Amino acid sequence: MSGASATGAARGGAGEDARRRRRRRGRRRLAARYVAAILITVVFLFPIYWLFMISFKTPEEIFHSPPVWYPARIQFDNYAVLFRDGDVVTVWNSLFVATISTVLAMVLGTLCAYSLARFKTGGDNLAVWIISQRMIPPIAIVFPVFLLYVWLGWVDTYHGLILLYTAFNLPYVIWMMRGYIEDIPVELEESALVDGCTRWQVMARVVFPMVRSGLFATAVFTFVFAWNDFIFALIMTRSEITTYPVQVTHYFGAQSNFWAKIAAMSALGTLPIFIAVAFLQRYLVRGISLGAVKG
Amino acid sequence: MSGPLSASEAGMGFRIGLFADRRFKYLVIAPAVFILLFIGLFPLIYSLVVSFQNINMMEEDTSFSGLMQYRLLFQDLRLWQSLGHTLLITAIALPIELLIGLLMALLFLEHMPGRPVFVSLLVLPTMIAPIVAGATWRLLFDNRYGPINQVLGWFAGEPMTVLWVIKANLVYPAILLAEIWQWTPFMFLILLAALSNVDKNLTEAAEIDGASDWRIFWRIVMPAIWPVMAIALLIRGLDLFRLFDVVWALTKGGPGTMTETISIYTYIQGFRQFETSYTAAIAFLVIVMLSVAVIFALRRMEITR
Amino acid sequence: MKIRKIAAPMSVAALMGMLAAAPAWAQSAAQTAVDAAKKYAGTEITIVWEAGLQSLDPLNFSGPKWEELTGIKVKVIEVTTSEMFTKILQEHRAGSGAYDALNVIPSWMPDLVRAGALEPLDSFVDKYGFRDELQNIAPTYRDNQMTVDGKIYGFPDDGDLFILYYRKDLFEDAANQAEFKAKHGYDLAAPETWEQYADIGQFLTDKYAPKMYGAGQFRQPAYGIWMFEERYRVEGGKFFDPKTMRAQINNEIGVKAYEGMRNDNKFMPPGVETWGFVEALSSFLAGEIAMTISWPPFGRWAAGYGLDDAALSWVPKSTIAGKVGYALPPGGTPQLAAGFSLSISSSSKNKEAAYLFIQWLNSEEISLQRVQLPYALRDPFRESHFTDSEYLSRWPDAGAYLKTLRAGADTGLLDLSILQIDKYEEALRQSMSRLWAGEDAKAILDDVAAQWDSLTDKIGVDRQRMAYADWSAKPNAYPK
Repeated sequence: MSGASATGAARGGAGEDARRRRRRRGRRRLAARYVAAILITVVFLFPIYWLFMISFKTPEEIFHSPPVWYPARIQFDNYAVLFRDGDVVTVWNSLFVATISTVLAMVLGTLCAYSLARFKTGGDNLAVWIISQRMIPPIAIVFPVFLLYVWLGWVDTYHGLILLYTAFNLPYVIWMMRGYIEDIPVELEESALVDGCTRWQVMARVVFPMVRSGLFATAVFTFVFAWNDFIFALIMTRSEITTYPVQVTHYFGAQSNFWAKIAAMSALGTLPIFIAVAFLQRYLVRGISLGAVKG
Repeated sequence: MSGPLSASEAGMGFRIGLFADRRFKYLVIAPAVFILLFIGLFPLIYSLVVSFQNINMMEEDTSFSGLMQYRLLFQDLRLWQSLGHTLLITAIALPIELLIGLLMALLFLEHMPGRPVFVSLLVLPTMIAPIVAGATWRLLFDNRYGPINQVLGWFAGEPMTVLWVIKANLVYPAILLAEIWQWTPFMFLILLAALSNVDKNLTEAAEIDGASDWRIFWRIVMPAIWPVMAIALLIRGLDLFRLFDVVWALTKGGPGTMTETISIYTYIQGFRQFETSYTAAIAFLVIVMLSVAVIFALRRMEITR
Repeated sequence: MKIRKIAAPMSVAALMGMLAAAPAWAQSAAQTAVDAAKKYAGTEITIVWEAGLQSLDPLNFSGPKWEELTGIKVKVIEVTTSEMFTKILQEHRAGSGAYDALNVIPSWMPDLVRAGALEPLDSFVDKYGFRDELQNIAPTYRDNQMTVDGKIYGFPDDGDLFILYYRKDLFEDAANQAEFKAKHGYDLAAPETWEQYADIGQFLTDKYAPKMYGAGQFRQPAYGIWMFEERYRVEGGKFFDPKTMRAQINNEIGVKAYEGMRNDNKFMPPGVETWGFVEALSSFLAGEIAMTISWPPFGRWAAGYGLDDAALSWVPKSTIAGKVGYALPPGGTPQLAAGFSLSISSSSKNKEAAYLFIQWLNSEEISLQRVQLPYALRDPFRESHFTDSEYLSRWPDAGAYLKTLRAGADTGLLDLSILQIDKYEEALRQSMSRLWAGEDAKAILDDVAAQWDSLTDKIGVDRQRMAYADWSAKPNAYPK
């Protein structure tokens, strides 16, 4: 890497030209980037658009060939049915279970990740064991866990499912947060320690602000894993705490395919996440840009 | 916070700090480890025990059957095929997701007005329940009611009958399309966060020095984001290995058993055929294989760092 | 209404008095159940039901009504059909007692009984006097879907069978008749053999496509295997050699059936291989196909019956009401595909209360109401259902409809049911998806036969031979 003096000398003529060129390039690039961004967004959003459109269509429009791209009228009958029949409670169940398990996983996981990152607690063995928990395909453990839960009386209960999701998300949280924490120069914490802070204070005042973007990115995906899980919810619930993915599969009948209900329920089930992302993206992006302006 | 400490005070504080640190570091991992043991260990032990027995749909034969299940396992062609299918999907989807995610992250890296809107919109596919995503693509691919064949027909000039979830040569593209659509945004977000954390000073200095964008990328940016990228690849790779929902919604493992992933096969064996012991043996095989793979991958990652 | 016969001699006057006061005296099985159940008021029983439209019955009608009459709350546990067998066995294995009453597909009953998951019902039946009303279930269902090894394990509750629906307006059209007769030499009418089916289908497609096709069919493997089982037996095939217990389905009859099905696709709308129940239904109701084979609800909905009900808002409106003819599928021996029986879980903690509920559900008067619910997927299964005047008045052709159903109930063919039948069916399902993918039919069927044989070996040839002998001895196992 060239020294500072070389940079300073270049700031004369060549640097000026470079900057002007960069600005012109910059404007054209910006336009091109916008076009690309819009194209990509359209492609990625199209299936979601289609799903939402189905939820607004009438049965004739849904089962129409060639397919209808935009319904004649935006009608909310399909949603009304879900509310009337009380199926909406499954969205609430998902929300409740996913939120609590995410909070638990984030808190416990980040603490654990800090310990692993800074102290290498348990050495490689512990880290590897934790990571290995995430490798296990849910199928492999779902039946024994079901038996365990029957014995404990936890089948079809909120706490049962919450604990299960927390346990399944912990490895991911620990992994990701360990990476983000390790990225932070340890000197900042050490100087805070020397200043007399306890470890807890160090975590709260030094570490947390610095990993905020990573924290939120991890929290978002942890929430999504819990929210969208299908296989655990399928086996561990019966009728009390049915979550929305399982409810959606109820609409795939052998003698009926409630596409309208499937779409409407999926839309309802996705809406809370969209809202959460809309709120969190402020932190996400701010976190990202703050992180970029590091000293 | 108090003012500067005297040397002896600092020394004492240091020793106390050490002791407090020890308590801290174990205290802090305790709840997480406890939960993991609870949910993680019991099923493992249970599965191991059961895999040496002979429990299936009709019989609850809990006598010790030795390695019978494991012997069957090695002769089971369908099992190894399902592993092959899973690896195939992983090997194709993972690089594509990485590449497209990286390109997207680079596209959005520099500041542009309205970026937050784009980012939050692009992340949406990952938010949909995979089973719902599979169902949505099932409809998109539908021959009569789906827009994809309709659009293909516009390009071809005549109605196209493309049976995406039926024909042997189309099922894999269909699954890959749905899967890549859903999870590329995951890579995108992770890489965007990682790229944003790359020290601007380094890149700017190199730029002024006249290094090409390409070299800057390879020599400075890539090594900087490699740790996070490696973890993201590992996570996504493991997720792909466990693939179930999307394939189930699109083809249920068909036609025949052509798109059966290891999770689908295990599900069928365990929950349709009730071959409890055999399934436990499969579960063990899978865990062992994955452990080896992950340990190998982690060691390599540690070395590069 | 049946009046329980009283053996003791009575004076004529007393007898007359009794007859006159019949409603007050008569103890129908439904009434018996209600009376006996009142002592369980305040408790709750669970019942497993097929998710979706089916469960609207206990959710909207029978559950609330039962609670009103007896004070027992009914909790409906909706389970998708493909998960039902799994969940029932799983809960039984865990001994959780979570399920009290069950809906069971009759072909699973032997497996569930052998796994110990179902409660024998004979003692309850005698205690609450249900034998008489059980006798009045149509013989096919009564004699084939109620007992295992001579003991009662379930009450047949759904007269499922495959019916051929066809556009009689097109068949009766003079021009069509003339052209068809000229081309094929016999009259245009509901096909009686599969060759005729292909002739008619092709003829109509040639004439009307792409606006309308000669036929359409649900081809997804889950449904397709029943069509194969039916067609194979109609053409004379037997599933196994009764002595050696080796699978026979890869013989020329099987190959002919599979190839026939695939060739039939040619005159069906493109993409028919992806069709499920709803695709076939919406296509038929929209007038896009002239023939289809499916369960009884098609016939009700094609006539427009019940489509105003909010629960059926997902069904496209029928454009063909009044134009639909009903017949038995080619061969005249329809598959009694699926069906449901009501059973009790052996690990239930509320067996008696649950039993009384299913007796009430299955009783003459309540079942008659249930099969007429507009959103009902329960089809007539009692003699009285087929001749009920209210049902007959539901739509102009209801009489022909019920007559066809009744005929099918007589000649219908049972789903194959041997030990671990689900595994055999799984092999068939996979082979069907390979058929649509384009593979050679003989190769596919050879694989299925090999899989079946290895399954048989694993289960035990002797045990399976006995189970198969039991099943094939039933009057409706093979065409007479």
